[in-house]
Amino acid sequence: MPALIVLMMLIAYPVTYTGILSVTNQQEEFVGLQNFRDVLRPRVTTQALWNTLWWVFGSIFFQVIFGVAAAILLNQKFRGRAVVRSIALIPWVVPGIVAATTWAWMFHTEFGIINYMLTGAGVLEEPIGWLITGNTVLPAMIAINVWKLFPFVAIMVLAGLQSIPQELFEAAKVDGASYWEEVRHIMLPQIRPVVTAVTLLLVIWALNAITIIYAITSGGPANKTLITPIQIFRLAFESSAFNQSAALAVMFFGIVMLIVFIYIKSLATESSEKS
Amino acid sequence: MYKVHRSSFRPVSSSLKLTGKLGLSVLMSLASITFVHAGEVVWWAPNWGEKRAEELAKKFMVANPGIKIKMEVTVSNGLPARVLTALRSGNAPDLMEVQHGWVNEYAQGDFVLPLDDTIQEKADYNKGVLQVITWKEKLWAIPYRIETHGVIYNKDHFREAGLDPEKPPKTWDELQAAAKALTKAGRSGFGITGGGEMGNTIFRSLPFVWMNGGDLLNADMTKAVINSPASVKAIEFYTNFYKQGYAPKSTLENDGLALRRLFVAGALSAYQSGQFDVPAILKENPKLNVGTMMIPAPAGKQTAAIIGGWSYVIPKAAKNPTEAKKFLQFLNTAENQAFYTDTFPARASASKFPRFNDPILKPFAEMLPHGRTAPIHPDWVKMTQFYFDGIQRILLGDQTVQKSMDQANADIQALLK
Amino acid sequence: MTRKLKRTGLSAPLVYIGAFLLVAVCLFPFLWMGLSSIKQLNELYTIPPRWFPEMPTLANYQKVLFESRIPRYFLNSIVISVGSTGLALILAIFAANGFARFRFKGQAFWQTFILVGQLLPTAAIIVPLFITLKVLGLINTYWGLILVYMIITLPLSVWMLTSYFKAIPIELEEAAVIDGCSRVGILFRITLPLSLPGLVAVLVYAFITTWNEFIFALCFATDSTVKTLPIGLAEFSTEFNTDWGSVMAASMVMTIPIALLFLVFQKLFIGGLTAGATKG
Repeated sequence: MPALIVLMMLIAYPVTYTGILSVTNQQEEFVGLQNFRDVLRPRVTTQALWNTLWWVFGSIFFQVIFGVAAAILLNQKFRGRAVVRSIALIPWVVPGIVAATTWAWMFHTEFGIINYMLTGAGVLEEPIGWLITGNTVLPAMIAINVWKLFPFVAIMVLAGLQSIPQELFEAAKVDGASYWEEVRHIMLPQIRPVVTAVTLLLVIWALNAITIIYAITSGGPANKTLITPIQIFRLAFESSAFNQSAALAVMFFGIVMLIVFIYIKSLATESSEKS
Repeated sequence: MYKVHRSSFRPVSSSLKLTGKLGLSVLMSLASITFVHAGEVVWWAPNWGEKRAEELAKKFMVANPGIKIKMEVTVSNGLPARVLTALRSGNAPDLMEVQHGWVNEYAQGDFVLPLDDTIQEKADYNKGVLQVITWKEKLWAIPYRIETHGVIYNKDHFREAGLDPEKPPKTWDELQAAAKALTKAGRSGFGITGGGEMGNTIFRSLPFVWMNGGDLLNADMTKAVINSPASVKAIEFYTNFYKQGYAPKSTLENDGLALRRLFVAGALSAYQSGQFDVPAILKENPKLNVGTMMIPAPAGKQTAAIIGGWSYVIPKAAKNPTEAKKFLQFLNTAENQAFYTDTFPARASASKFPRFNDPILKPFAEMLPHGRTAPIHPDWVKMTQFYFDGIQRILLGDQTVQKSMDQANADIQALLK
Repeated sequence: MTRKLKRTGLSAPLVYIGAFLLVAVCLFPFLWMGLSSIKQLNELYTIPPRWFPEMPTLANYQKVLFESRIPRYFLNSIVISVGSTGLALILAIFAANGFARFRFKGQAFWQTFILVGQLLPTAAIIVPLFITLKVLGLINTYWGLILVYMIITLPLSVWMLTSYFKAIPIELEEAAVIDGCSRVGILFRITLPLSLPGLVAVLVYAFITTWNEFIFALCFATDSTVKTLPIGLAEFSTEFNTDWGSVMAASMVMTIPIALLFLVFQKLFIGGLTAGATKG
């Protein structure tokens, strides 16, 4: 209860502030939906929304898959497990900007170690312009995002796996289940609440995480990696169009809340069906 | 299966504890605030000039015992956002260093004080830069540092290609020919930027447009003219370096820093940049034979460049503006400007100091009178963004130069309504 | 029930291949960073790129550890991260307990509200937060940043912890109530121990988030008594130049201690309800 009061004070104010900004102009006069119209007009806004969709779904899909796979692996007993677990943490811990610039440098067409290794091993004939070709730049960003955050999924899911009651496994063994059947019938269902919660958070993070893209391409080239949160940031801090930025933020927020709402509702119906 | 029902006394007791904790911590921190002394000037100085700033502060404090200068070091990463946040929240220092281009929005947002009463020997200052920080006939900052781009080139590469390193290209045609001669396997003749932060490309491409008589906007800023024949020709000239293979393949991901690295690695023969790159280049690769030249112009026309650099501003929310103004006058004597600046001082008299006599700096100094500033328009950043997107579209191969600039023109025009 | 059953698991080679892949993927860029941190300036950007330096140097580490403000920032980061993580965890435990176990009016509203807190883009909330801190007099103090970081990690912590708490079978608590256990007792004797892995996971999340946070620290910490490591990293960049060797070395300093700390803590991922807990 008290935690909620603290939260309320510190969340409600920024929310209201943004809301007010979105319907006023620089001179603080009320202008209704003008800002919303102004920000929706340029085609870059729609492009950003599409890119955001790709970015979010692409990132989450792989983050969850690799994260769960890693968690299952790390749940196994094997020698050196503790060390591998710590190593798995590293991408998450590395400071975002440093990770971004290191990856950018590794992907660089001429300085990059990735092209160097791939051409050296004969896998590629010519170096690929990872960050300069329209088709590869967003996937490259997604790959970096997946690398950075799948440890988060892994750790959270690992914690969930650790909480599975031992009896379930023992019962399965009595029934003669193989390992993969254990995975499918015990582990995955048991970690479902964790995975759903984690997925929701990954959505929220993907929608807010501008560091990687901003540091490497600034949304380019030609807006191919521009996602809506970066556009919001640009409007606010580069163009000083705080009101339009707020309007875009409000709209974006609305869309996201809708998705979240649908997500939660479907979860609720599922759990009520179960019990 | 029944649910445990809700009990209400535990939450209450822990909420009391929590409010108690919060209250205590607020009191404690209120008590520990250092009082702002009358006579203390808080100065946000960037970290690359930190040592010199400290010296200047010390000198001033010795001469003015009643005033204390409290220096807070800033970093370039996130600086515009940080400055804006401070100004908008009313919690700002007494003196800040910002780039010339940012000043106008601070003035229009009523965040900074006019400084007409503080500037001394106004006629000594570079006219172009004073224009940028003027708004509604008042001066809103005092510039102390100005610089423009030039071209840095590798003298040994020139010799190898049969070109005379002491007679670098002066016209567009000569530059193109030189780039062609210099380019070979593993080496690009002339580098352009196409990626990273967009300022890199604006600074390197827009002056070409100006040189050829084009511009982004017309004189009274009512029409976008970036798709005029003169402008398009210039953009074509710029992007052709990449299209014809004289610029590195990685152009779309390169900013000025990447170009410098390519130059240091010997993979690039020439590129545009500011004079600050030269010491960095020599530090990384002392064996390089570095030459500098002015930016070539179309035959028979004058060269041009964008004037960049830094100014001081005093926020409206400053706690000790009078002392800040006094300090500002100290900082802007010709001698102190010459001492503090990383490139050139904004005052003409200050550039007579010996440190600016290095022959490598000569072309940059000669570029200064040709320097122009970007027009002041509230949507300037958005417009240059459209322009930059257009350039990237050309480099990507998505559109021809004319088509891309037509689109950019339309986007910019839409903002001017 | 004492018959020991054979533990099935992934076949050994599969496990080791998987572990190897995991290590390779995670370490690849990190290795590049580590090697960069012992390179001299002229070896950092070569064409073609080289893995190993011909003349390795520890000068970058010397600079970072002895000649910069990084040690002080390290201390600041520890204080702030530990403080905000601890506080957030305490609050989150109580809030999550409420959400997981009790049904009260407007529960859905509060859960959504918490999510809202997480969704706010930085650009939207930084100015109002700045004003709030200024009013409270907390700019450039440990408490100011601790409070802000608590705000940004609390929603997630509550959300995650709720799902971990929910995973604990209700029968255990019911059994404890029958045994005469108080509400607080349940929390401390059953819920927390059984959700230990979850607690550790949330702790790790909150700590890492605050450890690497940049923009709020940049705006709210104005001198080196309070500045954090991410700002220290940024200070190696001047206007046109970045001391990449030092940045890489500093990144090592920022990352390796955390990984080592986790090495120690991950023993707490023991978990697993002991058989027979509900059969008593």
